[in-house]
Amino acid sequence: MNERRAKTFVIILALPALLLPAACLLYILFKGVPALDWAMLFGSSEAADAFGSVTTLWPQIAGSLLLMLGACLLAAPVALGGTLFYALTASARQRQGLLGMMHLLVGIPPIVYGLCGLIVLVHLLHWGISLLTGMVILAVIILPMLLLNSVNAIARIPSEKTEAARALGLSHGQLIRRVWLPAAWPALITGLLLGMARALSETAPILFTATVFSGVAWPDSLFSPVTSLQTHIFYLAQEGANAQSVDIAWASAVILVALVTALSFSASALRKVRMH
Amino acid sequence: MNTQKKAASPPDMRSTVPQPAIKPEREPGLKVSGLSLELGDAPILRDISFSLPDRGISILIGPSGAGKSTLLRCLNLLHQSWQGDLRIMGQDVRAWTGGEDALRRTVGLIAQKPALFPCSIAQNVVFGLGKKARKQVSGERIEQVLRQAALWDEVKGRLSEAASTLSVGQQQRLCIARALALEPAMLLLDEPTASLDPRSKQCIETSLRQMAEQMPVLCVTHDIEQAKRLGGQIIFMCDGRLIESGDSDDFFTRPERIESREFLRWSVCDCG
Repeated sequence: MNERRAKTFVIILALPALLLPAACLLYILFKGVPALDWAMLFGSSEAADAFGSVTTLWPQIAGSLLLMLGACLLAAPVALGGTLFYALTASARQRQGLLGMMHLLVGIPPIVYGLCGLIVLVHLLHWGISLLTGMVILAVIILPMLLLNSVNAIARIPSEKTEAARALGLSHGQLIRRVWLPAAWPALITGLLLGMARALSETAPILFTATVFSGVAWPDSLFSPVTSLQTHIFYLAQEGANAQSVDIAWASAVILVALVTALSFSASALRKVRMH
Repeated sequence: MNTQKKAASPPDMRSTVPQPAIKPEREPGLKVSGLSLELGDAPILRDISFSLPDRGISILIGPSGAGKSTLLRCLNLLHQSWQGDLRIMGQDVRAWTGGEDALRRTVGLIAQKPALFPCSIAQNVVFGLGKKARKQVSGERIEQVLRQAALWDEVKGRLSEAASTLSVGQQQRLCIARALALEPAMLLLDEPTASLDPRSKQCIETSLRQMAEQMPVLCVTHDIEQAKRLGGQIIFMCDGRLIESGDSDDFFTRPERIESREFLRWSVCDCG
C-alpha cells in the first residue's frame, strides 16, 4: 500500500515535467500549423524585401541553418583538438584546468557572449553585423558543450582497450583512428547534433551580432548580415497588434521546433547505437 | 663466433703462456639495473636489478601492491618516468631503434583482463600489425600464432565470428596470439590466468612453456602453486623492492630471505 502511495506521489511530481512541455508543443502546433503554407516555405524571396509583409520564410530558414552549420564547422575541430590534448598529452593539472574552464563557460549566459561579440568582433575588428560574427559567437557558445561531450565519450572507452592498443605499439594516430573513433563515434555525433540544436535555438547572441529583420534574402558574403528564424520570431512577436505578423511568428516557431526536434531525435537514435 | 672474437682481440704476444679461447657471452634477454619509479611522491619501485636469460620462463611473484604490474609496465614503456637502466637484448630501451612504439611491438605485454577489439577473431589476431601487413598476412600465419597460444583447435571454424563470443579464457589466449603475431622478442604477462577456470589455466601454462623455448617470458602471478608448476627463475618482490631471485627449486625449497619464507608460508609479507 505504501509502495502504491509512493508511486502515485512520484507520478504527481513528474506530471508537470511531462505535461508542461507537451502543452507548449501542442499549443505551438495548434497556432502555427494553420498559418503554414507552401508559399511561406518556397515562395519568392522578393517578398522578403517588403518590410512587415513578408510571407516567405526560406531566407530565415537558410540563415538559421547557415549560422548553425558554420558554428559547428568552427567549433567541432577545436573541440576535437581539445579532447585529444586532454586525453593524450595534458598533465593532471592541465586536465583539471581545462575541464574547470569548460564548466565555467557552459554556465555563462549567451547574452554575455553576444555582448562580447558586439564589442570585439562587430566594433573593434570591424566585422560588422554579419554571418561570420554570428557563426563565431555561436561556435564559442557550443564549444564547451562539444568538448565536454567528447571528453566524456573518450573517457567511457574502457581503459583496458586503450592500454592494450598502446601495448601493441599503436601510435597515437592509430589509437585514435582504430580504437577511439570506432568506439566513441555515436557519442561524438550525438554531441554534435545536440550542439547543432543549441546553435539553432540561440537567439540573444545573434540578435545584435548577425541578424537583421528584413532586406536580406541570401547573404552575399560572410560579412553580410542574415535573417534567421529565431530572431524573426522575436521581431514579429513585437508586432503583436498585426495579426498577420503573429501568424507568421507562429509558423516560424513550428519550423524552428521541427528542425530542433529532428536534430534531437537523430541524437537520441544515435545514443541507442551500442558502444562497443 | 670464436674466430671473430679472436680476431677482435688478438692474443697478447708479450706473454708466452697460451691464452684460453674467449667464450662469447650471450646477451641477457633483459637486464634491469637500479630501476626506480615514483608516482606522485610515492616510491613505487626501489632500485630493482635483475636479469633474464635470452629464453626461458621467469616468474615475478609477490603480494598485492608489491609493484609487479608496475614493473611490467615500465619494461613495456607504458610508464616512462622511471630512473635506472633497462636493456633488452643489450639495447638501451630509451634509445630503441624506431622509438617506443617499436619497442612495444618487440616486448609483448598481456594484461590481466583480456581486452579485445570489436571485430572478428582473425582481425583481433592481426590488430597490432600495420595496414599493409594486415592485408598481406596469410591464413597460415594466423593459424600458427593461434596454435602457439593453444587456441586454434577451439576457433578454427569460426575465425570470422566476433571475438566477444569467446569465453574469458579463450579471450585471454587470443590476446596472447595477438601479441605473438607481432613476433615479439620477449613476452610479459600480468597474471594471465587470474580468475580463469583450471582448464584455461592449463592451456595458457602449456602455451607459456612453448613460448619460453623461443624467447624470455616474464609472468606475474599471485599463485604460488602455479609458480611452482611453471618453474624457471623466480623473482620475488615486496613493497617495490626485489627481495630475492633465483632458481625456482631453490626458492621454493630453500628460500634465503625471511620475507620469502614468510610469503611462501602465509602469502603475505610485512617488509613494508
